[in-house]
Amino acid sequence: MRANPEDLLALRGLAKSFGRRSLLRDIDLEVRAGEYLAVMGESGVGKSTLLNLIAGLDQPDAGSVVFEGRELTRLDDDELTLLRRRRMGFVFQAFHVLPYLTVAENVALPLLLNGMPRQETDGRVAELLAAVGLGDRAHSRTAELSGGESQRVAIARALAHRPRLLLADEPTGNLDADSGRQVLELLRRCTKDQAASVVMVTHSPEAAAFADRVVRLTAHGLTAA
Amino acid sequence: MALPFLSREFLHILGTGQGGRGLLSVAAIALGVALGYAIHLIHAVAVYEMEQAARSLTGEADLVVQSLQGGMDESWYPVVARRPEVAVASPVLELEAKVPGRTEKLKLLGMDVFRADALQPAFFLGGTGDALDRLRPDRIFLNPASAAWLDAREGGEVILQSGLSLVKLRVAGTVNIPGPPVAAMDIAGAQAQFGQLGRITRIDLRLVPGIAAQRAAQSLQSVLPEGIRVEVPEARAAQAAGFSRAYRVNLNVLALVALFAGGLLVFSSQALAVVRRRSQWALLRALGVRRNELAWLLVMQAAAVGALGGVLGVMLGYWLAQAALDLFGPDLGAAFFRGIAPQLAVAPGAAVFFALLGAAAAALGSLSPALEAARAAPARALHAGDDERAFARFGSPRAGAALIVLGGVAAWLPPVAGLPVFGYIAVALLLIGAIVLLPWLSRAVFALLPMPGAPLAGLSFAQLRAAPSRASLSLAPLVASIAVAAAMAVMVSSFRYSLEAWLDRVLPADLYVRAGGGGDTAYFTTDAERLLRGMAGVERVEFARSVAVSLSPGRPPVMLLARQLDPAAPGARLPLIGESLRPGAGQLPLWVSEVAADLYGWGVGGTIRLPIGGRMVEGVVAGIWRDYARSQGAIVMEREAYRNLSGDERANEAALWLRPGTDPGAVARALAAAFPAGALETALPGELRRISLAVFDRTFAATYVLEGAAIAVGLAGLSASFAAQVAARRREFGMLRHLGVTRRQIGFMLACQGALLALVALIVGLVLGSVISLILIYVINRQSFHWSMDPAVPWAALAAFALATVVLAAATAWVSGRQAMRREAVLAVKEDW
Amino acid sequence: MRLLVVCFALLWACGSVVADGYPMVQSGRELRFPDDHGSHPAYRTEWWYLTGWIRDGEGKEYGVQITFFRNRPRVAEDNPSAFAPKQLLFAHAALASPGHGRLRHDQRAARTGFGLVQAAQGDTDVRIGDWSLQRTDGDFVARIAAREFRLELRFRPTQPLLLQGDGGYSRKGAQARQASYYYSLPHLAVSGSISVDGATRQVSGTAWMDHEWSSEILAPEASGWDWVGVNLKDGAALMAFRIRDQQGGTLWAGGALRSRNGETRILAPGEVHFEARRRWRSPRSGATYPVAMRLRAGDLVLDLEPLMDDQELDARRSTGTIYWEGAVRAVRDGAELGRGYLELTGYWKRLRL
Repeated sequence: MRANPEDLLALRGLAKSFGRRSLLRDIDLEVRAGEYLAVMGESGVGKSTLLNLIAGLDQPDAGSVVFEGRELTRLDDDELTLLRRRRMGFVFQAFHVLPYLTVAENVALPLLLNGMPRQETDGRVAELLAAVGLGDRAHSRTAELSGGESQRVAIARALAHRPRLLLADEPTGNLDADSGRQVLELLRRCTKDQAASVVMVTHSPEAAAFADRVVRLTAHGLTAA
Repeated sequence: MALPFLSREFLHILGTGQGGRGLLSVAAIALGVALGYAIHLIHAVAVYEMEQAARSLTGEADLVVQSLQGGMDESWYPVVARRPEVAVASPVLELEAKVPGRTEKLKLLGMDVFRADALQPAFFLGGTGDALDRLRPDRIFLNPASAAWLDAREGGEVILQSGLSLVKLRVAGTVNIPGPPVAAMDIAGAQAQFGQLGRITRIDLRLVPGIAAQRAAQSLQSVLPEGIRVEVPEARAAQAAGFSRAYRVNLNVLALVALFAGGLLVFSSQALAVVRRRSQWALLRALGVRRNELAWLLVMQAAAVGALGGVLGVMLGYWLAQAALDLFGPDLGAAFFRGIAPQLAVAPGAAVFFALLGAAAAALGSLSPALEAARAAPARALHAGDDERAFARFGSPRAGAALIVLGGVAAWLPPVAGLPVFGYIAVALLLIGAIVLLPWLSRAVFALLPMPGAPLAGLSFAQLRAAPSRASLSLAPLVASIAVAAAMAVMVSSFRYSLEAWLDRVLPADLYVRAGGGGDTAYFTTDAERLLRGMAGVERVEFARSVAVSLSPGRPPVMLLARQLDPAAPGARLPLIGESLRPGAGQLPLWVSEVAADLYGWGVGGTIRLPIGGRMVEGVVAGIWRDYARSQGAIVMEREAYRNLSGDERANEAALWLRPGTDPGAVARALAAAFPAGALETALPGELRRISLAVFDRTFAATYVLEGAAIAVGLAGLSASFAAQVAARRREFGMLRHLGVTRRQIGFMLACQGALLALVALIVGLVLGSVISLILIYVINRQSFHWSMDPAVPWAALAAFALATVVLAAATAWVSGRQAMRREAVLAVKEDW
Repeated sequence: MRLLVVCFALLWACGSVVADGYPMVQSGRELRFPDDHGSHPAYRTEWWYLTGWIRDGEGKEYGVQITFFRNRPRVAEDNPSAFAPKQLLFAHAALASPGHGRLRHDQRAARTGFGLVQAAQGDTDVRIGDWSLQRTDGDFVARIAAREFRLELRFRPTQPLLLQGDGGYSRKGAQARQASYYYSLPHLAVSGSISVDGATRQVSGTAWMDHEWSSEILAPEASGWDWVGVNLKDGAALMAFRIRDQQGGTLWAGGALRSRNGETRILAPGEVHFEARRRWRSPRSGATYPVAMRLRAGDLVLDLEPLMDDQELDARRSTGTIYWEGAVRAVRDGAELGRGYLELTGYWKRLRL
């Protein structure tokens, strides 16, 4: 099967099992550039594993992951790492903002990793913080932030280096309903502004409602919702 | 409920999670206990052997009449023998006989077999063959140790030096004297063969039954001159034991350092456990375990670890002692107890004591973390993210500063019973104080260090700086070991530098010739002196006579050196320190070595009474000089004055100044040819310098090994706590991997952190080490060995040491943190708190 | 005759037949007194030997023995040291009392020198520390401070000297040089005190003295000897000895019998016979001694009965041997004819190496 050139990401016949437990079987999925995709499913059905396979953090047992035309299963760890560094962003359920850095430093991290000189990061960081509504908190310690604020910092960090694909794993799992909605709105707005694709894993239909397209992951495979 | 719980807690410490650190604590405590116990065992053996030897040498004497210097006239023998309180008087001529070609002397006892029979049955029983051999002047009896040392058998020959000629003695049998090499022969033969006519060194006494030894000693002393002293034999054994005391104490302190390190490792592992398992313990508290019960539980758990270390240490110590005895003898190669064939005895009391010491060290180490764990408010501790607060509790700037001040005060206190007890306490207080200050210090150091510009290095730095208390816990063992290692390095280098300077001062001549070197039987006669002065190429010769002088009952004798020197300019020959004095007319000037001045409390201008030539002579201390050669002290006087006072015309050593252009080697060869083979030892100053420094380096080689071991322990501590920290931060590393940080970059971060920690440890440790080195130089060494030295910092070595420590720490951190690079770490982002 | 010390001499001389370096004992030398009471340091060995029966105020009887030996080992003749062992002195003292069951004895050994130990020439003056024997006013005075007893005894001659052998030249073997200079003083009147068991008692009695010196005595094949000296009640005196070979046979024998009126009969080797009548085995050394003997000396036949069986003396720490030296009664047909001392040597070990 040939890859559609419009697809940013294409999964073909993907399978992954842990020991004797077969988690993912025969998964086919395409994500077009700029598309916001939500993957829904029960706990333990393999949503996070799917994300790890897409990010090149785990190797599938069978099938292929093609990202921007490159077959990820053929890349080594360093190439995959560089790919993540340049082309992908992550938003975690547990935020994972570094407590000993300021808000601005957290957001600047991907820029610095991509080799941007420290002085040049300020403009981009300010722009992003303004976009997530934290323009006045640039020099705050992240320990002082609320959960919703932390996740907004995480979104700013995930988008700082203009990734083509943003992977989000239950981004509202640790948040109350109001903060969750704000975060999801922000996520949608920002990714659309940058024309970045999103693959968001969630078990919440409210969250999934923000996506362009929703697929459901069950033990039998992936089906359109 | 404590017991089953305790056992599980205990297993937990040793289990895989904390295993490295737990095992390390056990190992360090075992090492400390092993060292202490081994030293105790070896010392017990040495003292026992020394006492046995001293006893078998004086036999079953009730009293010993002993000359303080140079023996006594034999006419005192009938005076003593006729005293009504004396049942048997056995005259002895004890000589340190020169064996040609050997440095060590042979202790030779000239005895009257008929008298000795009552007091030294050993001497009488051991021989075989012709009974008259015990009276023949050319027969010698060897004890097992001397037979082995000289490799001589019954019927064989032993050659000893008398003056500069050789005396051949037939080995007629063995004497059954245990302990170090001793030989015996007829007293008349010994007097005649070794130029000692009319002289004896002591008289062993058996008293008439019913007379108290002390009373008899007093009444005997009243008829004897001051230069002859009546002693109880036990005093002689005590003197033997005292000989190695300073040496032994230093070894014991090394054992304590190991125990300290063990306690420190227990402390840091418990402190980490307190943090890691804080919520579990808080749960226990919430479930109703009382505060004291929890503290008690944690202390007992540590004590159990310590006791395990203690038991292993006692076993290891026994094995170590046995191995050391087999290899080096009970003095560990320091030649204090040459030739003793030791028998190791298990000391159950001491074994229990040392095992308990291990438990106590561990319990003490755990005390502060246990109290902290018990103090924590359960509700708060149940929540995540409370780590740094818990760590911060372990540091207290005020307590640390107080300990350091106390340590500073202790360093100024005088020795206790001749031992630098307060010096050691000062070092311990400084170490503990610095460790207590460490969180504060590391915060200060991190605040001072500039943030690196490179993102990963900066990230590493930020990570450490954010948790200084936690970082300082991993640093404690490393700081302590860097401080100890640096202090030892500075001390050894100061000593070596001072020794080199001293050697240059004391070896001004072109060639040195020695006959016996301090022994009683080898010496230059006036004829030999003339011969030496007349040698071709010799411009000037200075002779020196050295004799042992006993000044105090409990102390080994001091060397009296009679040498040619100008009383107006003694500094030309002696490395004087401090002021000196021009003695007035009619006064006898004496220059005492630093050791002697310290031991006997002499100062410049003071008067000393010395037994010379059988009477007491008064002299004035005209100066104090540095002497690294004679550890029991030395007194220098003009040779002419000594000759006049003693009538002793002999000399042991000669320093030769040669005419310009003369080859010292040729003169040495000519000298060797002029006297019997092996009778003279000649040496060039360069050779002597080289040999002395080689001996020094060999002696201190063990210190370098210890320094290495200290750093290894410190790094092991760093490794274990670093691993624990990385484990705690694996989610963070996982996130970074998501963000596109490569595996190698994670490794680089870890190495950066290791290097940074080492840098902090070096800054604190080197400052602390320099202070400790000053205490070692000015307090501990001075008070133990009475040797002063000029501080000399081995900059290059310290720089190399620092660099090596940083590199090793970086490598250690990289290795012990490599779990952060694994795939599982990447997935850890999903783990919830 | 007191050959005991020979064991010591022989032990050291290793059976040499020539008295090399020592003057030889020769017949025809006239003994001169008091000089010959004194020491003869040139000769190899010499001894002064006092044995006697004494009785305290309560009538309790004791045997007493005091012996001083001198030896010249010739191992340090030219050593200038004051300690040089040119002359060695040994002493044995023993007290036999039947109630005690065992011989009390002690010994001394020393080299001469420093005025502490000496054997003077010119007259008897031998001392080892606080043990001494001196001749003063014609009497022999002995002071002995032993481990279990003290003796302060005076021995007054009541009869003239008895010169043994040929005017004091006493043959001891088939070779002419196997001989000694030897005289005796029988019937010495003893007075003085003994201190034993914490009490000092005045004593009196009769004793016998021998003084003998020589350079070589025993034949190489000799293994020991039996000797007896008896003060007979009628004032007569008997000395008899035999030298035994290894099989117990007699190598040489001799003796002298001086009657009350001073007539002396020198006994030839064939005139002296010892015959064991009863033996006693020492529980300490295991040696068996013929403690009761029948003695035929010329016409005289006597049975020798010991004051007590155990009169064994362990002198291993001075002269290096164990021997039996005991007070004996001389009895014939149940009647006591006299009292004396019997010496039995060579029963523990051969006296030769």
